[in-house]
Formats: sequence, structure tokens, C-alpha cells
Amino acid sequence: MRARMEILETSLIERIVDEALSILETTGVLVEHDDAFDRLVVAGFTGTKDNRRITFPRPIMEEALASAPSSLTLHDRDGNPHATLSGDRVHFVPGSSALRILDRKTGEIREPSSPDFVDYVKIANGMKHLSYLSTAFIPKDVPQDIADAWRLYMVLSYSKQPIVSGAFTAFGVPRMGQLMAYFRDDRQDLIDRPMSIFTCCPNTPLRWGEDPISNIIDCAEWGIPMEIVPVLLLGMISPSTTVGALVLHTAEVLSGLAIAQRIRPGTPVLFGGAPASFHMKLMTNPMTAVEALQLYCGYAQIADHLKIPSQAYMALSDSKFNDSQAGLETGMGAILASLAGINSVSGPGMLDYVNCFSLEKLAFDDEVVAHARRFIEPVEVKEDLPTQALIDELVREKHLMMSEHTLEHWPEELYIPGPMVDRTNWEQWEEHGSKTFKERAAEVIDECLEDYDVEPLDAALHKEIRTLFASTCSDKEVALPEFE
Amino acid sequence: MADYALMNQLLFEGKHKIVQQMTEEALAEGLDVAAVLEDGLIAGMRVVGEDFKRNRIFVPEVLLAARAMKAGMAILRPLLTERGDADTSETIVMGTVKGDLHDIGKNLVGMMAEGAGFTIVDLGTDTSAEEFIAAVREHDAAILGMSALLTTTMIYMPKVVEAVKASGLDVKIAVGGAPVTPEFANEIGADGYGADAASAVNVFKELVAAREASRTSP
Repeated sequence: MRARMEILETSLIERIVDEALSILETTGVLVEHDDAFDRLVVAGFTGTKDNRRITFPRPIMEEALASAPSSLTLHDRDGNPHATLSGDRVHFVPGSSALRILDRKTGEIREPSSPDFVDYVKIANGMKHLSYLSTAFIPKDVPQDIADAWRLYMVLSYSKQPIVSGAFTAFGVPRMGQLMAYFRDDRQDLIDRPMSIFTCCPNTPLRWGEDPISNIIDCAEWGIPMEIVPVLLLGMISPSTTVGALVLHTAEVLSGLAIAQRIRPGTPVLFGGAPASFHMKLMTNPMTAVEALQLYCGYAQIADHLKIPSQAYMALSDSKFNDSQAGLETGMGAILASLAGINSVSGPGMLDYVNCFSLEKLAFDDEVVAHARRFIEPVEVKEDLPTQALIDELVREKHLMMSEHTLEHWPEELYIPGPMVDRTNWEQWEEHGSKTFKERAAEVIDECLEDYDVEPLDAALHKEIRTLFASTCSDKEVALPEFE
Repeated sequence: MADYALMNQLLFEGKHKIVQQMTEEALAEGLDVAAVLEDGLIAGMRVVGEDFKRNRIFVPEVLLAARAMKAGMAILRPLLTERGDADTSETIVMGTVKGDLHDIGKNLVGMMAEGAGFTIVDLGTDTSAEEFIAAVREHDAAILGMSALLTTTMIYMPKVVEAVKASGLDVKIAVGGAPVTPEFANEIGADGYGADAASAVNVFKELVAAREASRTSP
């Protein structure tokens, strides 16, 4: 069986879901944008224009839950199936949307640029244990009203892998949809063979502001899979207790899911989240706080109960640097996410409350992910029960290192980590150059860059995409960065 | 005509019975024993060593190849001894020191060393200085290898070193084991230290070369 962790009894899950549906039916959500409000009314929701509150009758919710897919297969740039998100399959993806990077060469924390982003894509593309990519941070050398699509363009230029992304403005999704459609036969083909997941975050508590509500509607119209990611702060904008927080979290996710299903039934929606604790003294919001981790695991169980794929911001750290705290938080998050069966785990590479991205951390986290994946591999009988023959051989030979059984099974059973997890003894470590974490990370990263080999886009397509940027950017004279 | 490339490959794959048979056949064809050793066996082990270093193969595969090497050497050794040029078949007497019953690491070193062509006389665990000295004398060993797993038993090592030096035996002393460090080895007057089984074999080769050099120097 596969290792699986549960923190909620089924009867409690049912009560939490029922309570969330009641809240949606009575309190509903606030839609803070007139056009979006009108679009939702046209789509069949009931709402009062005066207070712009939309409510969700049970039949609408039942219909929505029935039409939401339980599985999502992401396709690569060329249209080939790449990763399926369903059941208890776990995928890890770099964290997304940091404002800063930790420069691996200077140690400086600074604003990123497009060349930094190109490096990131090439390196992330070479990570062995991450399933697909994200638009990890925001380059500051392009106008910010096109930065969302610009990041997507750079990933598509340098990697074939699917992408977790999202729009920064109310009008961002259509441009990004158009960009992705260049890699498909038509819009329907983009729906049939999706290449991305877009993040849509409600404004807790129970509000949808202009940007996220526009994004969710646009994503549904374009058929772009989305992850609904409430950002509860326990004790501040959420009950401080786990059950109450799960009710609010579930209500917010299901409101987004219902809107998406109403616009386009069958649009893939992930039951996501980035909840955090609220630090009652520092007023910070640690996503790796132990009670927040409990909330992540709880909502993963609710998603599973509702047969909706899940997403979480885990396997990351709130620490500022790649220190012991970063190791603790990332490792704990990765293992818990794996045990909880979360389908898409966004986090590797991320530091400082999802504000800072580190390539060195990405290299380390790739190894953390490998450990987490190995831990949840099913425990099965592998020619070792009955065990008498193996014990006889062990007693006779005094070891099993040359046993047929060992030769057959050790390569899969005994995971040998890459250089980011140091398994040398002191003398071996000295013999191999006494390399520090930074030096080993540099070697892994340089190797990824050396081995990078992805078929480039053709020049005509680049030109077409750049024309799209120029025509939709607020700055018509914009000079976009050039890259290879 | 012996197919050395095939022999190397079979040795690499750990097919000890076939390697032994091919060794016999090569000698039966009248091939020179030193050539069979070098081109048939050592060349194969060289690839094993290289691939181990490059993480292409791991301990189990090395041990299987070592067993195949040992099978071939069992045929060649008497002839090499007869000719008096058996440099790689030097004998190592090894054991875990008195008071210590741990032998996993020591056994691994022994297997790896056999794979490199050494003859191993394994005294087992809980070995006294007198037992080491008697075995070195009896087998005309080039190297005495001592292992300890505990800080409470490694302190017996200097006693063995002292006793060996007092005996006047021409033998190099190598030490290893989890608590043992290069500094400790140096401090107690040992000639070599191996951090792990693979490096221990290299140390043995260096010690044999040093011993040969000291014997031939004027």
C-alpha cells in the first residue's frame, strides 16, 4: 500500500463541506467588480446589485461538483501528454511569482530581470524530480502590465514542459490564452490539450476582487485549467482553529469552482490553497507554520472526498536564506504534501514568504522532492516473503551484497541521492574537495546549464508573439528585452 | 586464441565460473601467465574501478567482479608464485582488534582487496597482537590490516603496532574503521589509513609499492 496520511474523519469532512455549502447559500461571496457581477448574473447566479453579493443555491453547487473533472492531464508545448493530476499522484513544481531572487553568485537579494528568468527556465527544465515548470518570479525589465505573459513566453521559449502561471491584471488571461494558442491548432485544441494551470486567488474572506474574478471567468471561457488558491491567515482573516478555517477555505474554493463550472462546465479546477498562520506578535504570515501545514493536509482530504484534484503551496520555506530552517520547512512540507496526496505542490525554490526565489534552493529542493517521492512508494512483497531463503543465504554468506535478490532489487529500493544531499563520511568529503552547500549547488546548476538542450522556437513565431506584446502593451514604444 | 575482451566483459559482469574456465583455457593454449593476468583479468578490473568511480556501477557489482577476479586468480596464483613475480598476489593479514566483534566493514575491505588480486588471511574478530604477529609470520604477509568500530577498542591498535615493531617483522600496517582517523593512524605509527573499502585497496597497493621500494633501495 502507498503511505497515506489522514487527519480528518469522513464524518467531519462531510460536516465541513455541508457547512461550507450553507455559507455559500446564505452569505455567498462579494464580487467587487460590476462587469464581472453582471457576467455572473447572466451565467445564472442570483445576486443583489446593491451589495454585489452572489449566493450559491445547493442545486447549482451540486451541478458544479458533478461537472468538475476529477482528473487533469497537462500537455507539453508540442501537445504531448506530460502529467496527470488525479487520485493520489503527487507532482512538485517550482513556487511561483516571487518578487525577488537570491543571486547565487553575489548572495545579494535583488529584483530579477529577463536573463535571470531564462537561466531559471533552463535550470528548472533540467531538474530530475520536478514534474513541470512555473513562472517562478517576476522580471522587472519589462512593463509590469505585460510581465505575466512575458514570463509565460520565456518559459515556452526555453522549455517544452507544462507551466503553472497566472495573470497579474483583470485583462491578463486573454493575452496569455492567445499566446498559448500559438502552440495549438486552435482554441478548442488548447482546451483539449491544456498546457498550463492558472492561479486564481479569492480575497479572503469570501470576496472576489476585480482581477481574480475576471481571471476566473476568462480562464473558464478559454478552458484554461485553474487552481483556486485562498490565502487564509489563521487568527486574522480566518478562524484560528483548523475546522473553522477549513470551512472558510472550502467555501472560497467551491465558490470559484462553481463560477468556473457555470461559465464552462468541465473546466478543470484544482482545490488549491496558500493558507498561513498569522503571527500574533510579528504580524507576519508563515505558510510553513505547523498549524498551516495541518490545514493544507485537511483540505487535501476534502478535495479527495469531493473528487477534485488538489494543489498546495508547500515544500517551500519562509526563511530568508538556505539555512537549517529552510531545510526543516521544505522537507516537512514535501513529506506532508506527499503523504496527503496533493496532486500539484508548488514550492521548490521559494524562500521568504514566497517573496524570494533561489536557484540554489531549487537544486536542493529537487533532492527533497526525490526523498518525498521515494517515501510514498508502495511497500510491497518483493520476493522477500517467505524470508527464510534470504535469511539462510545471509547466515551462510554473512552478507547479501552479492545476492541475486539484492542485485535485482537494490537499485529501486536504495535511493542514492544526488550531490545536494551529502552522504560522504568526513574523509570522503575532504577527499572530494570539502565542498560546501553553495559549491555543490553551483555544480548542479552549471551541469543543468551545460546539458540544456531544448529545441528553440522558430524565428517567425518569436516575431508573431512579440507583435502581440507590442500591440497589447500600455507602452506602445516598449523595447522588449532580446534573448537568444 | 583467448578472447581477452570477452574475458574482461564477463569479469565485469561477475561471471566467476566462466572467467575461471577461460583462465584455464588460456593457460592450456600456452599463453603466458603474466599476460593472462594483465590482459584477461586486471584489464577488466580496471574498467570496474573506473566505472565505480564514475557512479556507473556500485558495491554489489564491484564485489561480483571481485569474485570473478578471485576465481581467475585461483588458477594463476600457483604459477605466479612459482615464477616469483606475483606482486599483486601479496598477502594481507587482517582482523578486527581485540575486544571488538564488528566485522562488516573489515569483510567488505577483504572482498574488495581480493578483487584487486591480494590474498586475504582473515583472522576474524577479537584478534590479539600475538595472533596478528603469528599470522604475518606464517603467511609472510606484506600488510597487516586492523579494523575497529568502537573508540573503546581502537585504543588496542597502538599495542599491536608496538608489538609488530618490536618483533622486527617487515610488514606494513594499515588501519581503518568508523572512529579511526588519519591523524590517529599517524599518531600510533601505522603506515596507512583507509576511509572506506575502495580507498583501503588503494592504500594497500601504495603500501606494497613502498615496501618493495624500501627492499630494493641500497
